[in-house]
Amino acid sequence: MTPIIRVEDVTKEYGQNGITVRALAGVTLELAAGAFAAVAGPSGSGKTTLLNLVSGLDRPTSGRVWLEGRELGGLSAAELSRVRLRRIGFVFQDYNLLPVLTAAENAEYVLMMQGVPKKQRRERVRELLALVGLAGLERRFPRELSGGQQQRVAIARAIAAEPALVLADEPTANLDSKTGGALLDLMASLNQEKGITFLFSSHDQAVLQRAKRLITLKDGAIDGDGAPH
Amino acid sequence: MGTLITISWRSLWRNRRRTLITVSAIGFALAFAVFVVAMGEGMYSRLVDQATRQQAGHVTLEHRGYRDAPAVDLAVARATELRRALGRLEGVSGTKALVLGQGIAKSGAGAVGVALMAVEPEIEAATSPLADRMVAGAFLAAGDQRQAIVGRALADRLKLSPGKKLVLASTDVSGALVEELVRVKGVFATGAEEVDGYLVQVPLTFGQQMLGLGADRVTQIGLLLEDPDDRAAVLAAARAVVADPDVAVLPWEEVIPDLASYITLDRGSNLVFQGILIFLSLFTIFNTILMSVLERTREFAVLLALGTSPWRLRAQVLTESLLVGLGGAALGLVVGGIPALAMQIYGLDMSALAGDNLSISGFAVDMRVHSELSAELLVGLGGLVVAAVGATSLLAMRRIGRIKIANVLR
Repeated sequence: MTPIIRVEDVTKEYGQNGITVRALAGVTLELAAGAFAAVAGPSGSGKTTLLNLVSGLDRPTSGRVWLEGRELGGLSAAELSRVRLRRIGFVFQDYNLLPVLTAAENAEYVLMMQGVPKKQRRERVRELLALVGLAGLERRFPRELSGGQQQRVAIARAIAAEPALVLADEPTANLDSKTGGALLDLMASLNQEKGITFLFSSHDQAVLQRAKRLITLKDGAIDGDGAPH
Repeated sequence: MGTLITISWRSLWRNRRRTLITVSAIGFALAFAVFVVAMGEGMYSRLVDQATRQQAGHVTLEHRGYRDAPAVDLAVARATELRRALGRLEGVSGTKALVLGQGIAKSGAGAVGVALMAVEPEIEAATSPLADRMVAGAFLAAGDQRQAIVGRALADRLKLSPGKKLVLASTDVSGALVEELVRVKGVFATGAEEVDGYLVQVPLTFGQQMLGLGADRVTQIGLLLEDPDDRAAVLAAARAVVADPDVAVLPWEEVIPDLASYITLDRGSNLVFQGILIFLSLFTIFNTILMSVLERTREFAVLLALGTSPWRLRAQVLTESLLVGLGGAALGLVVGGIPALAMQIYGLDMSALAGDNLSISGFAVDMRVHSELSAELLVGLGGLVVAAVGATSLLAMRRIGRIKIANVLR
């Protein structure tokens, strides 16, 4: 079976003030569809860089990345954009909801970009917001929601279009442990019930323990890969 | 499309004060432009109206060679028949006949070179601005023969007043010198030295006899139009009516080129000035739009990460700009349009600024200036501003294409 993500000998270097910084050094890994995996490692270990390369937000300096068997290096910026729109959901550390849209409109955004008819998107979003525990808050703007509620909207937005993969970069970093735990419960149930593949990064051991697979990065290289202890 | 407008509209109100200041800047620049341009257009229209009524109408028929070498022998024949046919054309409110010539006016006080204009008194009394500018005596009337009206400056120079004798000398169609004695019936004052110092008007039949033209020949036939903007259509129709190849049918711009040039130049400089003002205000708007995009770089990066196409985000920035432009245009058209409309109805007395006697290209300017608002002016200036504001967003739109998503989100 084709893995949903395949990363082969990927290196990523950044130039900073004339100095080359190697963020990833020869990373190779595969992630199966339906996985609930976490990327761990200290700051600067390359977690975000790995997620960026997997999602096509950035291109590797060397090596190759495949998503659902399709090599991302051969795609144009517009094609990558379409891949992200159709196949990947994002959850960011800072929620990054559009402040001028309500909770429902934010959750609906990706569907709208995909051209899903209005009635269909409204129904889908109403179900999703109920699923993430935000029923009744559809018309609230992000500033009227707590951090945990905003992150739930972000998850609803990420899964609204039923993507193959959801990438979450430090999704619980700005949440208290209780809210963070509830969010992970939600992600885990979506993974189990809907079969959505999750790949998330975190520093938090409590969060990382929830993953079924833990990929540990150190100095841009894989330092460990397996079930969390 | 609806969502694009919704997002753009709400984005604008995220910084309410900045949006209001920007809309106001556009609005007041446009309001000033609307008012000034409308006042200018009103002045031009009034000037053209007075000049064409005093001279040979909005459309003039004359001998094809007259413009190059004005002489009374280059006359239009069968004037009555032509006028009858032309008077029936759609858009023509009236016709007039003129005989123009050069001559010398002599009195006991001296002699002065003058422009002789023979007119139909009953028509001129109803149409010519001179009829309203009499300061002594009376305007010519039907049945008058050896009578003339003169300008105040000429009257002062030759010590003339109503009832005084005046000798007019000129050359007739055969080139022979002719002299006629007339009495001054009235004195007019337009404020234009070129008119008041040199123009002598006499009755048409007298002028035709004096210059040997005969009863049905004139140097000009003028057509007065109901709407001067219809002159292209009237010109075409009149040319179709006139069979004589020696008769030229001309718009007033070719008959009074000095005035046409003045209006073109003044209108151009007015528009350039207003354009500079609007252009300067666009710098503020350009800066505002660019700032609003730079402030939202992270937000745009997130949307790009989610798979939004850069074109969609560019469309959002353009929509925001156009909404600001439309708001500013609406404000400007209302704030500039209302006083301009008031000036159209009531007029503005400019004599305190420019004195009572201002003339342009030899034609007196009515110092009570009425503006002239038109749909073309409002739509043209409003549309120009909206388009210009939209254009200011181009650089900001370009920046969206340069966003490095991974760098911004790091």
